[in-house]
Amino acid sequence: MVGSSKTRNGKMERIKITPRNNWQSAVEKLGFGFHTTNIPYWDESVYYSLKMNEVVLIEKATNELWNLCLGAVQHVMDEGLYQQFQIPEWAIPMIERSWTEDHPAIYGRFDFCYKDGQIKLLEFNADTPTSLYEAGIVQWFWLQDFDKSKDQFNSVHEKLINYWKYLKPFLNQGILHFTCLKETLEDLTNTEYLRDCAIQAGIETKLVFIDDLGWDEVEQQFVDLDNQAVTNVFKLYPWEWLLAESFGKNILADKNRALWIEPAWKMILSNKAILPILWELYPECPYLLPAYFEANQLENYVKKPILSREGANIDLVLKNISLAKTEGQYGAEGFIYQELCTLPNFSDNYPVIGSWIIGQESAGIGIREANTLITDNKSRFVPHLIE
Amino acid sequence: MKKSTYIQLVLITAALASCNQPKKNDWEDSAKVHIRSDSTAPYTRVYHHNGIGTALLWYYAFRPYGNYNNGMYQRAGYYSSAIHPSSNIGSNGFKAAVSRGGFGRSGFSVSS
Repeated sequence: MVGSSKTRNGKMERIKITPRNNWQSAVEKLGFGFHTTNIPYWDESVYYSLKMNEVVLIEKATNELWNLCLGAVQHVMDEGLYQQFQIPEWAIPMIERSWTEDHPAIYGRFDFCYKDGQIKLLEFNADTPTSLYEAGIVQWFWLQDFDKSKDQFNSVHEKLINYWKYLKPFLNQGILHFTCLKETLEDLTNTEYLRDCAIQAGIETKLVFIDDLGWDEVEQQFVDLDNQAVTNVFKLYPWEWLLAESFGKNILADKNRALWIEPAWKMILSNKAILPILWELYPECPYLLPAYFEANQLENYVKKPILSREGANIDLVLKNISLAKTEGQYGAEGFIYQELCTLPNFSDNYPVIGSWIIGQESAGIGIREANTLITDNKSRFVPHLIE
Repeated sequence: MKKSTYIQLVLITAALASCNQPKKNDWEDSAKVHIRSDSTAPYTRVYHHNGIGTALLWYYAFRPYGNYNNGMYQRAGYYSSAIHPSSNIGSNGFKAAVSRGGFGRSGFSVSS
């Protein structure tokens, strides 16, 4: 142990260690090929150590927030608040059908700021969360090499297999297709990992890249590259992109009424417009930060586009002065304003806790740290253990 | 919190490890490669974009292409999504019956 630093409440620790000699080949053997791009992504020169009571707190917050989110979805539907989410009117029947028919959903990732013993929700990646493989597999195998006697807040793998087993009878007849973008090993790895777990749950699966999905105009159905009908499809591709593209409206015309996983109602939760709604509904919840659609409600706030990815177009404002700001291509749909909650500082490393919900249960965490207050696409995935 | 001490992966280790091979020299940007997937189609040049990275194997794969008709599979040929549509389809009626590419244009990765 070379050194460590602690949060102010003296619990979660960041501990420097020497990486395994063969760490690159060790993670590559697991099929983890994007550990390093032009900058390191997987970083085992440090780890975070949590106490069991902290893990229990994160687990409790995750389960409670999940229930609040389900209530918020119902509220959005009951009150018809779709305009605040910039969801096109033609997509509303599809969203509501997926909710009332209880279409299968498997996972989501809450991003938490954990500081001074308090957990605060920054956002919910409900539709296309990534870093699942790092959280479920790579950090677990790291722990087996580092210290087998220790435990980890991680039941991602077991819960994925079990939940696919649970969902199996609720799928449409036919195989379960898995789809993602081409040319991105990160997306492919996340998708193939989910498919791996589905296979282990006894589900027949097939991979088809999203741009290879075909539309059969005569049969009015989606097909794969073998022209086999697509009746169930897990997609690592955001709903807002699906709707905006030329095949988007075909989802409504699909004669098979294919089940899309995550379902269309996740469009509501993955949109940052859910944050002011959650705050309006549950202001007493200790895990929520005040959030509004209007700029004039807060003095210290984070301005976030309702649709954005990887920390793009974020502005951190303290007493009307911008502390940190990122560029990007998002913001056309509008913004929300969330009370400023700066991430804890561990020697200029700022960790955000990604807490997984799989099925209906908290399933573990993955920690990403950045050198800035905004966790962006240059952040590093750092393993953890329970002390 | 972790109940099991053993994790099994049935698919991903082998599949993705094979994606993670170093780029071959003959796939350098300067290489001129012309490909078609159907003998009725013309050849077109393919370009090795920088973004392909380690997913080469998946990207350039020629996949069997066919149709289900009354529950029977009929092989129609091969298809590669890495090459120009005109070099995939040619005058092959089976392939032309379905339109593709209606999804997948909004971004390069969903990484969140």
